[in-house]
Amino acid sequence: MTKRLDVRGAKCPIPIVKAKKEIDALAVGEMLEVIATDPGSMADFRGWAKTAKHASLREQRTDTDEGGKTIFVHLLERTS
Amino acid sequence: MSTAISVGELLGKIDRGERLLLLDVRNDEEFERWRVEGRHPVETLHRPYFDFIEEETLLDQVPHDRGPIYAICAKGDSSDLIAEMLRDRGVDARNVAGGMLAYGESLQPVRVPLDPDEEGRFDIWQMNRRGKGCLSYVIHSRAEAVVIDPSRNIAEYERFVETLGAKIAGVFDTHVHADHVSGGPALAPRHHARYFVAGGSGVDLRQRVDPARDGEQIRLGGPGGVTLTVSVLSTPGHTPGSTSFLVGRNHLLTGDTLFVGSVGRPDLGGHVVEWGKMLFRTLTDRIARLPDDLVILPAHYASTAEIDEQGIVRGRLGDLRRTVPELQIRTESEFVEAMKKALKTPPAVYEQIIRVNLGLQPLDEEKASEWELGKNQCAASVRRAAEVVS
Repeated sequence: MTKRLDVRGAKCPIPIVKAKKEIDALAVGEMLEVIATDPGSMADFRGWAKTAKHASLREQRTDTDEGGKTIFVHLLERTS
Repeated sequence: MSTAISVGELLGKIDRGERLLLLDVRNDEEFERWRVEGRHPVETLHRPYFDFIEEETLLDQVPHDRGPIYAICAKGDSSDLIAEMLRDRGVDARNVAGGMLAYGESLQPVRVPLDPDEEGRFDIWQMNRRGKGCLSYVIHSRAEAVVIDPSRNIAEYERFVETLGAKIAGVFDTHVHADHVSGGPALAPRHHARYFVAGGSGVDLRQRVDPARDGEQIRLGGPGGVTLTVSVLSTPGHTPGSTSFLVGRNHLLTGDTLFVGSVGRPDLGGHVVEWGKMLFRTLTDRIARLPDDLVILPAHYASTAEIDEQGIVRGRLGDLRRTVPELQIRTESEFVEAMKKALKTPPAVYEQIIRVNLGLQPLDEEKASEWELGKNQCAASVRRAAEVVS
């Protein structure tokens, strides 16, 4: 199961703060897809994944949403 | 107690050598790219904000015996959260408002002392944009001021000139900048002031600016008052249109033609040989004829070591003639070769910034903030290239 977290329009630290809360509420093996518009989220999620105890970063990509706006998508897995 | 401090207040504390700990909570990539620098070393602890969010007990490891803690991040929100978490633990911690974005845009005005016979007739204010190593100037005489090489953050110049009790009578760019968006085209019309920048060969700016001719004298200070002569000197090379301004008798604003430690790189237009030759002629002819006692006030500096005891970036031309490596080169071919050797790839955004400054592309404020992050790379830096070789 993949849960979706939409943090479009939010700036740091909100995407990480919310993602951490969501990850903590997931069961091991479940996925979290975070959709952000803050370009800084790319490096921040990579950095956070290095120290995160319960999450691992599976994928990161840049995309465009339905409104044509650039989005940054981070796919995380609850690992322990 | 306020929970935030401005970049200006922070830099004041650092420059006075006050005890403090700067807690930089940005990610590793941004911290490696650029950070707060002071005239004294800044005691800095780097730990990304997401580490503290992941593991709150890490907050207890932040040393609080080094003086008050000032937390900084990219834009000021993450550091605000971390400072608050520290305060909840009873630690003296404050946020640096606006973060590195504000650091990159903040201006520190410093008054340049003049010769005794010129003191009181006019003032030269060096506006130091510490985050980028950019210098702009406000020349003030009586009720009038001209702004030279303004940054995009024009409200700061407007506020400053207002505190002087003057109005902005003219706005000049020494050249078409590549490293930052000029505030000139936006600032001048707001004050019905004359705006001047010379584009040079292949670039037509006549539609937008009021041209200043080589040798022209600009009077400042209003009718019947004391007048100050600002003379326009064509000094091509860094760009074909590069212009210097002689203010009063003894101060030359050289833009990116001559710095305190080097010269402006002639390769940003993609014509290093042609522009390099132009720069050599400017340095060995036009600049060479100027007196030793002339004080050079450049548009950039490469490190805080170039800021003198009084907080000013300046150099006596006679001293620079002995110390600037590029001024020691005697032949045009050697000079062009040295420029080619020092050549380094300019940041990709420089082309976009040039297009905006030429009026060929509209300005997107948010993009401009991103483009301008980090220090300028406008110097030719033969010295650095030589060090790498040796």
